[in-house]
Amino acid sequence: MTVHDMKHAGSDSARLEAVGGRLSRVDGPAKITGAAHYAFEQQLEGLTHAVLVGATIAAGKVTGIDTRAAETAPGVLAVLTPDTIMELNSASDWFGRQPSEETYCPLVREVTFSGQHVAAVVAETFEQAVAAAALVKVSYDEMPAIVDLSDGSDGIPVDAMTKEWGDAEAAFAEAPVRVCAAYNTPREFQAAMEPHGLIARWEGDQLTIWEPSQWLDGMARTYAEWFGVPFQNVRLVSPYIGGGFGSKALALAHSAVAAAAAKMLGRPVKLVLNRPQNFTSYGGRAATRQTVAIGADKAGRIQSIVHRGVNETAVDGMWVEPLGSVTSIMYATPNFSSKQNVVRVNTVVPGAKRAPGENPSAFGIECAIDELAHELGIDPLEMRLINYAEQDPHAKKAWSTRQLREAFAAGAEAFGWAKRSREPRSMRDGHQLIGWGVAAGTYPVRRAYGEAVVKLLADGSVEVESSSIDMGQGTYTILAQTAAETLGVPVEKVSVRLGDSHFARAGVTGGSRLAGVMTGAVYKAAGQALDELIGLALSDPRSPFHGLQANTLQVKGGRIASPRGDGPEFSIAELMRALGREKIEAKGDTVPASFTPEQRYNNYTTIAMALPHTEGDYSRHSWCAHFVEVRVDEDFGTVRVSRVVSALDSGRLYNPKLAESQWKGGIIMGIGQALLEEGIVDRRHGRIVNGNLADYMLPTNADIPDIRTISVGIPDPHSSALGGKGVGELGIVGVAPAIANAVFHATGKRVRDLPITLEKLI
Amino acid sequence: MRDFSYLRADSVEAARNAAALPGAMLLAGGTTLIDLAKCGVAEPATVIDISHIEGLNAIDVTADRAVIGALAKMSHVADNAEVKSHFPAVSEALWQAASAQLRNMATIGGNLMQRTRCPYFRDPQNFPVCNKREPGSGCSAIGGVTRGHAVLGTSEACIATYPGDLAIALVAFDAEVDLGERKLKVEDFFLAPGATAEREHDIRPGEMITAIEIPGSAAARRSTYLKVRDRQSYEFAAASAAVGLELEGDGRTIRDIRVAVGGVATKPWRARAVEEALKGKPLDEASVRKASELVMEGAVDHGANRYKIALAPRVIARAILKLGETA
Amino acid sequence: MTSQTIIDPPEDGHFRNGKASNGASPTTLSIHLTINGRDHALDIEPRVTLLDALRERLHLTGTKKGCDQGQCGACTVHVEGERVLACLTLAAQVEGRSITTIEGLADEDGTLHAVQAAFLEQDAFQCGYCTPGQIMSAVACIREGHAGSDEEIREYMAGNLCRCGAYPHIVAAVRQAARELRS
Repeated sequence: MTVHDMKHAGSDSARLEAVGGRLSRVDGPAKITGAAHYAFEQQLEGLTHAVLVGATIAAGKVTGIDTRAAETAPGVLAVLTPDTIMELNSASDWFGRQPSEETYCPLVREVTFSGQHVAAVVAETFEQAVAAAALVKVSYDEMPAIVDLSDGSDGIPVDAMTKEWGDAEAAFAEAPVRVCAAYNTPREFQAAMEPHGLIARWEGDQLTIWEPSQWLDGMARTYAEWFGVPFQNVRLVSPYIGGGFGSKALALAHSAVAAAAAKMLGRPVKLVLNRPQNFTSYGGRAATRQTVAIGADKAGRIQSIVHRGVNETAVDGMWVEPLGSVTSIMYATPNFSSKQNVVRVNTVVPGAKRAPGENPSAFGIECAIDELAHELGIDPLEMRLINYAEQDPHAKKAWSTRQLREAFAAGAEAFGWAKRSREPRSMRDGHQLIGWGVAAGTYPVRRAYGEAVVKLLADGSVEVESSSIDMGQGTYTILAQTAAETLGVPVEKVSVRLGDSHFARAGVTGGSRLAGVMTGAVYKAAGQALDELIGLALSDPRSPFHGLQANTLQVKGGRIASPRGDGPEFSIAELMRALGREKIEAKGDTVPASFTPEQRYNNYTTIAMALPHTEGDYSRHSWCAHFVEVRVDEDFGTVRVSRVVSALDSGRLYNPKLAESQWKGGIIMGIGQALLEEGIVDRRHGRIVNGNLADYMLPTNADIPDIRTISVGIPDPHSSALGGKGVGELGIVGVAPAIANAVFHATGKRVRDLPITLEKLI
Repeated sequence: MRDFSYLRADSVEAARNAAALPGAMLLAGGTTLIDLAKCGVAEPATVIDISHIEGLNAIDVTADRAVIGALAKMSHVADNAEVKSHFPAVSEALWQAASAQLRNMATIGGNLMQRTRCPYFRDPQNFPVCNKREPGSGCSAIGGVTRGHAVLGTSEACIATYPGDLAIALVAFDAEVDLGERKLKVEDFFLAPGATAEREHDIRPGEMITAIEIPGSAAARRSTYLKVRDRQSYEFAAASAAVGLELEGDGRTIRDIRVAVGGVATKPWRARAVEEALKGKPLDEASVRKASELVMEGAVDHGANRYKIALAPRVIARAILKLGETA
Repeated sequence: MTSQTIIDPPEDGHFRNGKASNGASPTTLSIHLTINGRDHALDIEPRVTLLDALRERLHLTGTKKGCDQGQCGACTVHVEGERVLACLTLAAQVEGRSITTIEGLADEDGTLHAVQAAFLEQDAFQCGYCTPGQIMSAVACIREGHAGSDEEIREYMAGNLCRCGAYPHIVAAVRQAARELRS
């Protein structure tokens, strides 16, 4: 189902096909013709449709659910409530920690956030289920809700987030130049274009789930634990994912409802969240507040940074958005203190959205350094170079690679930064005030272990299998390139199959780790397959190479010969035929040989086994510098981004064409974050009132200028097998502060609360 | 969406007859009705599909007047060369509305029947209180999230903003709506909420818009529609202005001026005070900006929408000044 | 859902019923849709949208459901050659009209439409979910004559949201395809 026909991409030359080449997406033809079937587009016999009923209060008790009208509505097969849905076991969390409760009910009696699932209707058709769900009447005993960060106390300290060296408070107090300000980011949403949803089907005690997923193995584990079936009995299928951005890594309450309904009814159930439910059924980025205080000497050298952060979390769940992550590593400082609290509010548990932690963290420190530059009359770019961190200031380790200075130089050159006038409000074009801003970004290199299967088939074609996924980053393509290059075959001979949890396991796709993990695994598996092929060619009596005076053979363009080129030459298919082999299959992995089966299982189904980015002698990160031009209408306060140049260090790029697309995607999401995106809560009801794509505004095509990205990375051998660092998360980090700094340069107004909407500027 | 019967009307008369049936609603482009049916706001028992009626989509434009059939698509009117030439504000209001796809669906008649985007109005499941939906139940918006709500024409019953663009241009140029038996000024067709927020249009059961008529004028020929919003496109107005200008022979004295604003009022809002203050006066920036402030006489804000009081006059002024430059 | 009775047409015959199919629930319509040049017979309730008819009944899932409320453009299809949103169109309403979806854009032999080829070449998509809608919109945008400049392309493609952020590449693809289709 996930084999990609390469004939449309076949014109790319060998150079394009190698790792590092600009090969077009191998899954592209399926996506542009409508042939790509996404997870919940599978067509199944007897499919039923489920629709959820959400709580209309943010806190309180469900006192009654009147299901009579819904039950008698046409086509209705079942109305599920907390009383009638089957009981599930609680599942462990994503660290693999055992749950505190024994049982789990995905429909609630105690409501802790507005929109929480209270009931579900299953019917023969989607229309019938929607209509019947509207007939379910829920009564409540409503309690006061804590609606946002301003409601609560100072919150709960998260000691694990504390980072301190020197005496930051004293050094700040003594510093000749000081800036201190508060920076706020609102609740933001991933808003992938494909909604969350799934199809669940039981066959005996075998469960198949078609669900968009960033983590097949982790989600399969959750389903297995919920239903008390062996892990192997659960198959997650997710051939294409219509965007995730962090939101699609976990099996959620609605997933449990669908799987339970399917089991209860003995029929496959499809449940897709409608768009408003996509704003209440899983967590977006938590709202955050930070204060950043920087003390410096008169030459601009930072003496101290004091940082305090707080993020919202749920009443019945914990999410920590690490707000000191960039603050603690971007600039050299002898004194530093960062502490963080969380505040419980009545919301669904916040979750991961592109560059969790680093994104809001950079908004604080990268605006604050701009404020310091303005205070001192130093160019903001120069300010960053004065305080350049030559090593990781927190871990006190060498950077594996840090091409940030090169990023500043290349970006500034391409942008024309030298022509910037220092004073705010000094550049204009008619009614438009023009501002230029800069900010840096970073994201750690997250590493883990993966495995892949590479099969050489009798016809000379190659199959790669992995339970990893492609949500647009280009996994299909770069793994095809990796296998093709390693095996010496044309890329159109390679089929990559992803998105099935019964394939070799990959672990989570998040934190920009997948490309590094999986290219390493495929490189290894393909190498093993090649070794086996060559070994057989030299040793098998049936081989035409048998008895040849050679230590090895070489495969190029799908043909095998001695490296000197003086002997016979055969295609892989011819050799396989001679050998009488149907296939050569190799499973390669990067897992330490010492791992027990349980450690292996935990490696793929939890995030507990990931390697720290500061493990060993190095601190590993991707880096970037964004240069932004904004135009602010002096009458209307509207901000439009008119130019972006970003220079980025993601190490070696496996496919620059696709990496550039991801970088730009991050930058564009950053433009949305800076200017448009905010989950607005009605304080009386504790409910998001703009939970739809007209009122929670994503940037449109008309909001986005041409964007130039420049790769300044070099291969980083400490970060991954093939030298790449992270790509997907990096692009967004630093975009919002670059825009806020540009808005200040344009207008002289410093907006520290995102998004920068027009009423903040008129 | 509740189930409904579907009937296709072949003629205006058939449509009118069917529209008089209890629970019947007319379906043209569907961009309002189907949307609101999905929200649970509209619950038609019968949907009368009028989109196949022939002869109602003509666009007939001369210098003297434009007559636009009720079923003409927004996109076709926007791109019509004669509309662009004689009524540029109408074309500009149309192409800046919604998206290309929605403009290909939505009709001119349906556009006038478009409902507010008030988030409380659109979410009956979570906000049962709404005077527009349930007369007498109250207003959920007042005291809630009001950033997009109206500052002009509001009442204690309702502060929902009229969301459209086209009608702003229509009221500026004294357009009429043709209901078959009677014709009404577009300005009078729209009703401010007062104590009856549920009544948004002066239209009776069994009536149907068949056309709109816009009288031609020098001001209409020299007109523009300026729309300000958070997003560059595909968004309703934070504030907008339809403006037409006619100057005396001296090229600087204002003979005729038309001003209407959108995004800030409960109905398409003609700014006569601004017009009166500028008629006969020389066109200069200071007086235009000062006169534009008059649009906000009687404005009432609800906190988060206060910016509209500052914004709308600036939009008007810029639109007038832009027209002044294009002599 | 309340049961509805089909209202008898008035004597003058000026409006006609949706044709109730024999034996089906009184509100079920038997309709024929012409999609990508092929006739499809369907028995559906009047409230079924074109989008759900395509995806759930006809297994034409290339047309995507992103918001189901006219706010994202993922469900863009052509009706009589014009781009519209299938999520706000009743299937019954477009009976007798010619519908084109992403599945019908390439030639029968698989040759890609110029816009499809340009999207692949320019990497004008990532996750691919908004892509069929973007492509259908782009084909119409060019045909309408709204692809004259980058600025015009951006405005007339603004009704198709892309969360992966492929916009600059979409503009490049539309520009390229417009040039090719003109020559």
